[in-house]
Amino acid sequence: MTIAALLGNPNVGKTTLFNALTGSKQYVGNWPGVTVEKKEGFIDKSIKIVDLPGIYALDTFSNEEKISKNFLLNENVDVIINIVDASNLSRNLYLTMQLKQFKKPIILILNMIDVAEFKGIKIDFDKLSKELNVMIIPISASKGIGIDKVKMLLMSSNFLKHLDDNDYHFSSEKDTYEYIESILKKCITYSKKNIITPTEKIDKIVLNKFLAYPIFLTCLYFIFKFTFSYVGQPLSDLLDSSLNDYLVPLAENLLSNSSPWFKSLIIDGVIGGVGSVIVFLPIILSLFLGISFLEDSGYMARAAFIMDKLMRKMGLSGKAFIPMIVGFGCSVPGIMSARTLESEKDRKLTALLVPLMSCNARLPVYALFASIFFPKKQTLVVFSLYILGIALSFLVGLIFKNTIFKKDEEPFVIELPEYKMPEMKSLFIHTWDKGKGFLKKAGTLIFSISVIVWFLSNFNFSGMSDINSSFLSNIGRFINPIFIPLGFGKWQNSVSLLTGLMAKEVVVGTMGVIYGGDLSQMLKTAFTPLSAYSFLVFVLLYTPCISVIATMKKEYGLKMAAFSVFYQLILAWMVSFVIYNAGKLIF
Amino acid sequence: MCICDLTVGKKGYICDIQGNELLAKRLLSLGATYGTEVCIKNYAPLGDPIIISFRGFDLAIRKKDAKYIYVKEA
Repeated sequence: MTIAALLGNPNVGKTTLFNALTGSKQYVGNWPGVTVEKKEGFIDKSIKIVDLPGIYALDTFSNEEKISKNFLLNENVDVIINIVDASNLSRNLYLTMQLKQFKKPIILILNMIDVAEFKGIKIDFDKLSKELNVMIIPISASKGIGIDKVKMLLMSSNFLKHLDDNDYHFSSEKDTYEYIESILKKCITYSKKNIITPTEKIDKIVLNKFLAYPIFLTCLYFIFKFTFSYVGQPLSDLLDSSLNDYLVPLAENLLSNSSPWFKSLIIDGVIGGVGSVIVFLPIILSLFLGISFLEDSGYMARAAFIMDKLMRKMGLSGKAFIPMIVGFGCSVPGIMSARTLESEKDRKLTALLVPLMSCNARLPVYALFASIFFPKKQTLVVFSLYILGIALSFLVGLIFKNTIFKKDEEPFVIELPEYKMPEMKSLFIHTWDKGKGFLKKAGTLIFSISVIVWFLSNFNFSGMSDINSSFLSNIGRFINPIFIPLGFGKWQNSVSLLTGLMAKEVVVGTMGVIYGGDLSQMLKTAFTPLSAYSFLVFVLLYTPCISVIATMKKEYGLKMAAFSVFYQLILAWMVSFVIYNAGKLIF
Repeated sequence: MCICDLTVGKKGYICDIQGNELLAKRLLSLGATYGTEVCIKNYAPLGDPIIISFRGFDLAIRKKDAKYIYVKEA
């Protein structure tokens, strides 16, 4: 089998070329130990293409560069496909010079020849091919021009003969660039001077002092609405209700003669578990469609640029703003979208902070308690919880930045690429990858935990039982003492918090079952307004739901998932403790 | 003088990059080598970071890092 390594700068159309070459035959995973995506694809069975991360050089010590370098050194790479932006050759060829040091055949793909022509850049391909001693194929990946030639060359294996024995080690970056410039001088002519590109025109508006933020917020508003109001959430609700309205009655019919425990296992355990996984899918898909659009169009880099000053206060770079905002809807897609950030440290820190943004699922709990205990100040109480979450994310961000993430500081430089119209094919492939990844990796875990929780809340040592005498209620009674200092130490509350791990809105449902009867009366005897607020703070901050934990494990591994669970438990306990006891002193 | 002292649109030539070694290395490999023409294109609405432009592309960089890029006015 021929192994081809695909390399190039970021934003030069590498992914578009990869998609065009391999179509649907791709496999997405992670490089070991880091959150950098690993993509492999095939052109029939004999040629494997590995899409390496987009990089500018091989020697400036980023994770992405280390991955690429190790791959070129350790795997039996037969050919390097180096894609470059024809409208910006001098910077792009710097990487090419470093790739030459590996002594492998190189196919140089000049992408965006149409853009280069627009800019008045005329390239003599034959001469450039001779001077650089590589094979050159000019293409326009977005318009599909020249892709067939790349495919044919790869399948013909003609590239194998093409080797360059010259030494390409330079003593400094300056020497390399001088060498590149000397070649380009012979091969390129410029016919236009000082043209204003469409990108410059768009940036005049998009980065305008007064318009920048309104435009950015409008974009976010639409993505948020698209995900949580127009498309994603309605589809989720539809899935959920069709499960409950059709599948559950169907199963009940089929199982009408089975024993109650088996019926409950299928309906509450299995169908319930599957339901809790797939209702996330429409939300994840619609959100990623929106985010990929921002990313592929070139706007994401501008968003990072205008938000950087604010986000830096919590130790993050500008791009982290988007996952955080998404977190207000649901932490799962928030954590998944953290992958678009530049550095490993940013990705991890963002993923740890996203669950502090109060998600949709927590709202029913706030609404119930606020209506019972603070009937005249409902909005204020709910709003204060959102603000508390945001304030704590800044505080925790600062603490983490200066402790566990101290040594990982990476300099912030991002290229602002030229705007372009995103391609539907790339958008859909990327979006579907995310959904598939979630179902496969996180889905299985969410499902198994759902079944376990079902078991714990429906059984005790003598067999099936109701929740009040189940294993779960025993566990609730056992952990109850830790909530006494927070003002709401009753086993019913502990059990509700435990089932809240499934999804935070479940807290309300469980309380209905355990307390029995009219919650607004029952809760009034169980809570004071102060302990009710303390409870809400705890619900806001404690361990995110299992879907979030599963996503965290999928993206960042078990250690990060465990850390996120424990730090939030400790944070929730401490903040509730302070609020309850300070409140007791004041009121 | 430092690149931050250039006014928007005014050109300069890079003389030296100091400060964080990793950052200097990154900038060099992007082509910010001695004598390269460079200019400031824009400021973020809050005044930081800034967009600098050299070798035909735009790069966002924080002021605290940009102040180590020394230039000679054209």
